Amino acid sequence: MEWLEIAVTTPGEWVEAVSNIFIELGTGGVAIEDPALFSLYLQGAEDEVALDPSSLPREPVVKAYLPVDENLDVRVATLKRRLFALAGEDVFNIRTRRVMEEDWARAWRDYYKPVPVGRRLVIKPAWEEYPALPGQVVIEMDPGMAFGSGTHPTTQLCLTLMEDILSGGEVVVDVGTGSGVLTIAAALLGARRVVAIDNDPVAVSAARDNVKLNRVQDKVEVLCNNLLDGVAITADVVVANIVADVIIRLIPQAVGILKPEGLFIASGIIRGRERDVVGALENHGFKIVDRRCRGEWYALVARGGCRP
Amino acid sequence: MAKRVAAVVKLQVPAGKATPAPPVGPALGQHGVNIMAFVKEFNERTAAQAGLIIPVEITVYEDRSFTFICKTPPAAVLLKKACGIETASGEPNRKKVAKIPLSKVREIAETKMQDLNANDIEAAMRMIMGTARSMGIEVVEG
Repeated sequence: MEWLEIAVTTPGEWVEAVSNIFIELGTGGVAIEDPALFSLYLQGAEDEVALDPSSLPREPVVKAYLPVDENLDVRVATLKRRLFALAGEDVFNIRTRRVMEEDWARAWRDYYKPVPVGRRLVIKPAWEEYPALPGQVVIEMDPGMAFGSGTHPTTQLCLTLMEDILSGGEVVVDVGTGSGVLTIAAALLGARRVVAIDNDPVAVSAARDNVKLNRVQDKVEVLCNNLLDGVAITADVVVANIVADVIIRLIPQAVGILKPEGLFIASGIIRGRERDVVGALENHGFKIVDRRCRGEWYALVARGGCRP
Repeated sequence: MAKRVAAVVKLQVPAGKATPAPPVGPALGQHGVNIMAFVKEFNERTAAQAGLIIPVEITVYEDRSFTFICKTPPAAVLLKKACGIETASGEPNRKKVAKIPLSKVREIAETKMQDLNANDIEAAMRMIMGTARSMGIEVVEG
């Protein structure tokens, strides 16, 4: 997809008004390059700064993006009219250039390297070489635009928990699979059958690609579905790396598909919300059997919910 | 050892609703930040403020890890909310779309004080009044 990047150089006093005009045009937000922000950093921060001050703009630049479609010309004209009505034609400098989605979606790949997780797992970007050591389980990933590169603390918490829990032969359901990283890990750690679910078609397609990349398609099924709505299966383990509110909604459904002593692994819970999730789990008869934390993120393992 | 800062990125995006599309994608992608990791964390931290635009300052380190701080909503957003209007004036100098009493301006200045580069509340109020003018909102006594 192609976008028009519009960069407006503006005196500091107009930054708010210019940002507001962009947002009212429907740009979904703005990016601001503010030299004042950098100079604050250069003065006070305890962090060492590798920024080159001469690379910074002298005046703030507000940037936003519009999709290149049949409405583009009208929207750009509206933008210019509103800017000029604000402070006249000489105040702002407007630059535009076309950018492709691939340009930024791929930029971070240069920094995505194989990362060991837990005792045996290694997450390896599909395009990197990695000579595996004996006993290591290597997960190949191309996350594309889906959640789950394997580098986020919430994913790593789930991976280490699954490494401890799975001994082979289980039926695992992964709700909110994203790139499929947890599903593939479950399959490679010996699960008999894994069902991966996501409500985002982009994620489902990324997960299917990654499942094939890891040659576990024989025991993995990837479904585009809203949580566990209408899913009939009996599971030993349900894993959900999502966010607190969605996990709370998922709990009654998880009870419905888990075996009596089945385990529910819940991750993606930010500090401050873990008590809400624990409360909801206990209300459904679950007992918390493990609780881990990394940075601001919590993961819980609960056993044995009961049907209301 | 302190990590070295490679970039500081400032965005205004909707609370709880950031996506990897622009402006987040290009702004972070060019600095090598894992876009989805930021989106997920930002949405979770700001879920309670859904409906508001939130300014966020992201510090990117040389190893491409990042931290971020969420700020108070932009003055323009708070002004529109206080006046009960959806959009600012298209011709702020000629067409006024709302009035705001000085007491409300002071309230907004107090909310924003921690994030404004202002020495005292009067200076902060002058900044808010400047933004109000630029949106076609008239400041009145009261």
